[in-house]
Amino acid sequence: MTKTDAPPMTPGVTSRRGFASSGAAALRVRFLGVVVFLVLLILVFSLLAPRFFTLDNGRSVLFTAAILAIAAAGQTLVVLTGNLDLSVGSIMGVSAYVVFDIAGGAPALQPLVVVLAIAIGAVLGFINGFLVAVLEIPSIVATLGTLSIYRGFVSVYANAQEVTVGELPRFMRDLATAIWLGVPAYVWLALVVVILVALALRFLPWGRKIYAYGSNPKAARFFGLNNAAIVLGAYVGAGIIAALAGLLLGAQVGNINSLLASGIELQVLAAVVIGGVSIWGGSGSVYGAAIGAIVLATINNGLVLLQVQEFYRLLIQGAAIIAAVAVDAVVQRRVLGATSRRRVMEVTA
Amino acid sequence: MKQFIRSYAWEGTLVVLIVLAAIWSSTLSPYFLNSVNLLNSAAFFVIFALMAFGLFPIVVQGEIDISLASTLAVGAVLLANLSVAGIPLVAGLLITLLVCALLGAINGILVAVAGLPSLAVTLGTLGAYRGIAYILAGDAGITGLTPEYTQLGSTWVGAVPATVVLALVVAAGFGVLMGFTRFGRASYAIGNSAKASRMGGIAVIRNRVIAYALAGAMSGLAGLVWVSQYQSARGDNADGSILFVITAVVLGGVSIKGGSGRALGVLLSLVLLGTLQTGMKLANVPGTSQTLVVGLLLVASIGLPRAYQLIRARIAAHRPAHARTAALEDATPA
Amino acid sequence: MSSITRRGSRIWKGAAALVAGALLLTACSSTPPSAGGDDAAAGGEDVKIFMAPKFTGLAYFEVAREGGEQAGEDLGFTFDYIGSDKPDATEQIATLTNAIPQAPSALVVSAIDGDAVAPALKQARQQGIKVVTYDADAAVDARDLFVNQLSYELAAQTMLDAALLNSPEGGQVAFISASPSAPNHTAHVQIMKELIDTDPKYSSFSYIDTVQFAGDDAQKSQDIALNLIQANPDLKVIISSSAVSAPAAQQAIINAGLQGKVFATGFALPSSVKDFIESGASAAFALWDPAELGYVASVAAYQLATGEIKGEEGETIDAGDAGTYTIGKDGEILYDKPLMFTAENIGDYDF
Repeated sequence: MTKTDAPPMTPGVTSRRGFASSGAAALRVRFLGVVVFLVLLILVFSLLAPRFFTLDNGRSVLFTAAILAIAAAGQTLVVLTGNLDLSVGSIMGVSAYVVFDIAGGAPALQPLVVVLAIAIGAVLGFINGFLVAVLEIPSIVATLGTLSIYRGFVSVYANAQEVTVGELPRFMRDLATAIWLGVPAYVWLALVVVILVALALRFLPWGRKIYAYGSNPKAARFFGLNNAAIVLGAYVGAGIIAALAGLLLGAQVGNINSLLASGIELQVLAAVVIGGVSIWGGSGSVYGAAIGAIVLATINNGLVLLQVQEFYRLLIQGAAIIAAVAVDAVVQRRVLGATSRRRVMEVTA
Repeated sequence: MKQFIRSYAWEGTLVVLIVLAAIWSSTLSPYFLNSVNLLNSAAFFVIFALMAFGLFPIVVQGEIDISLASTLAVGAVLLANLSVAGIPLVAGLLITLLVCALLGAINGILVAVAGLPSLAVTLGTLGAYRGIAYILAGDAGITGLTPEYTQLGSTWVGAVPATVVLALVVAAGFGVLMGFTRFGRASYAIGNSAKASRMGGIAVIRNRVIAYALAGAMSGLAGLVWVSQYQSARGDNADGSILFVITAVVLGGVSIKGGSGRALGVLLSLVLLGTLQTGMKLANVPGTSQTLVVGLLLVASIGLPRAYQLIRARIAAHRPAHARTAALEDATPA
Repeated sequence: MSSITRRGSRIWKGAAALVAGALLLTACSSTPPSAGGDDAAAGGEDVKIFMAPKFTGLAYFEVAREGGEQAGEDLGFTFDYIGSDKPDATEQIATLTNAIPQAPSALVVSAIDGDAVAPALKQARQQGIKVVTYDADAAVDARDLFVNQLSYELAAQTMLDAALLNSPEGGQVAFISASPSAPNHTAHVQIMKELIDTDPKYSSFSYIDTVQFAGDDAQKSQDIALNLIQANPDLKVIISSSAVSAPAAQQAIINAGLQGKVFATGFALPSSVKDFIESGASAAFALWDPAELGYVASVAAYQLATGEIKGEEGETIDAGDAGTYTIGKDGEILYDKPLMFTAENIGDYDF
């Protein structure tokens, strides 16, 4: 490595501890922001619709948010590296259709549906990761391509047939209806996935490298991180999670056709963005993304409760996304401003 | 000369691909090589072309706009409403272009002035503008447009549909705009480094807002082509077509990271995509295969050159080492 | 330097404007140059019929395709199934535009946007291609005939009958439609509301006025179904004319453990609701036979192409075992054979 590859070493970066703590503070503030937004939303809906603030309705909102939250957790991995996975809906569709079609045809394989889904997700995620990390195709372009390719694959595979609800493994259908400790099983599963991803990001070396890489790819290379492996890993992880989300979605809808989950990528991105994960990479938390999914589900639920027309839902969701990124920007600037002031004081002290 | 070939290598590749696609298409279907049919098919791609050229300067500046198809829907529905209300075309078009430019400018202001990420902003307005289109359209589609508004779609310049002429004029316009004006130079500079451009005295914010407003206006113009060709408008017009538009821009050699790409490339990639789609549709190739081909084309056309570069770099990096070991082996007696 | 290039750019702009103006002024015409080539074959042996569904990949249209293929075998015409796998009006327009040069004798079309595809269909008719719509109509002047599976009134009645079979004591009804721009769905809902208001048979029902839209998306249908249940504690039946939304909503009800308390019904393929009906979670769904609908539409297209019929009001179409039909007002043929799937007969259907 030659000297010219070195990143500009500004005084601020040398005190890496200070930088990290300010980043954490920004994260906390931003995370609080989503929570406050959600609370405000709940407050408004509760005032307007008396049936909104009930245990039963809360359960229903969480259930409709569960799959979106899982998919958003996977997307977060990729977004943290400063990339995108637009093929998430197609991966979900491939996983749901192919796995349940195989399981429907060969009942002996039914206990293996999860393994099959993980395998499919890993392969499709690896292809994405290879295109982005190794061939260095910009992620929007690469996953826009695989969005079509994976969806085309499932269409060819399905040949306009449906996997009908009767063909699904009994235990998967039961899972979709199960209530554990008063809460739908899907909500618990979403919680587990979100926590596992969060723990992996926090405690696995790979997870910490994702943050490090995302916040400054050049610096990451300077510190000797294997960038391709980090990004590839993020895509494989996202692929596996998307495939699992697809499996759960398939069991939830019952009748699966080749169009399942098409177009969901925009909802997933919306959840991630509302949840405060920076689209530029390096900052944001998977908990935020999950709450972003809950925000979207809450808006959908509240507007149906208020008997508001579909058209306005589009408007309000769009406004929520922009409001979220605007809050992001303000918070980030405040925190950066504060830390730079502090740095100045430290220097003068 | 060598310099010229190298700098136009991408356009050259596209031309070769177009020729190959045309040969393939004509073997697929005996109807392909019919000039009238080809020109009529070209008319179908005008709507996407206008959006693609609108998106082009934004991508050159290193940003993105995924809300353009929703802006088109607002434009189409607005035009249809104005037509039914009896507003003359000139006034109606002016209002529509202004409204759509304003919608674009809102994107631009949020991105450039507020400094928000463009993908997130336009993800928001993608939904919001679609909602506006639905609200303006009401419960059903709008039909019964005055002939004035649909004239463009049923006019031919010689054998060429007027909309295709419009698209070519727009293509030339954007070629000039990006190649020979201050705005064009500023766009490439901003795409390469917004920070350096700002320090170099380029009005980054103004140029960004202009690019977004222009894209909005182009979508409004695409809305005019929509109502003129399809003589109706609905809230869901062109829903989902933004993926095709982005594909066209990227395949045209416009780097999604900004700073490079030419209008000629965008035009050629539209011709390529159009040739492929027309050929496959004429041969009644099943729809799924068409989806696959476009996806594969996108990934392969960007990925294969990269793979080639990568492998060459690997070989180059390994060569001295090989030479050294070979020399060592030579030195050691067998 | 900069002043020179700026002047240069102005010259370029001027030149571009001139070229544009010149192009537009020269030889403008408003008649399409004819594609020439072979005219649509009219008569006997080499009749070629294309069927274009809203989009390919949906099981419902695939069943209708089988009917069209059967008609091709029975009557000896070439049958082709064309279309894109994207539920997108522009895709269907491209499909139809590119069908015209292939000079089929007739097109059998389910229009995804009846107004937007109209110009393409009119162009086809100008070239002598007969146009028959099935399932979803296009603008009246853009096609010769429309084979309507069920009149809007009968469709509305059938769905309300299915609702009564599920919930004999009536109750509150909510509607899920595909999109605000699907005219048949909009009409179904409108008439169902009127029937509930006026027809004593359905007076035990009441309805929620706001219609929800799920865009033929299974997941969205489920989310909406759940939200509707939350919003309306007295909700009894969710009705949808979408063959995706109706079964998806029923599955959502089962997922929420509310089977027997709330019901979803409407139009659905028997294969997709067999499980619900056999398990007793649902008493009835409705539809028609899409294969026979495709058959009748293709036969009608064939007879138009061969000149056996002209497509005028009062003429009859003999579709053999599939029945005889009379052309009504505005070239509309009512197929009007609703099927009600219940525990007794669900096993008899294989589509």
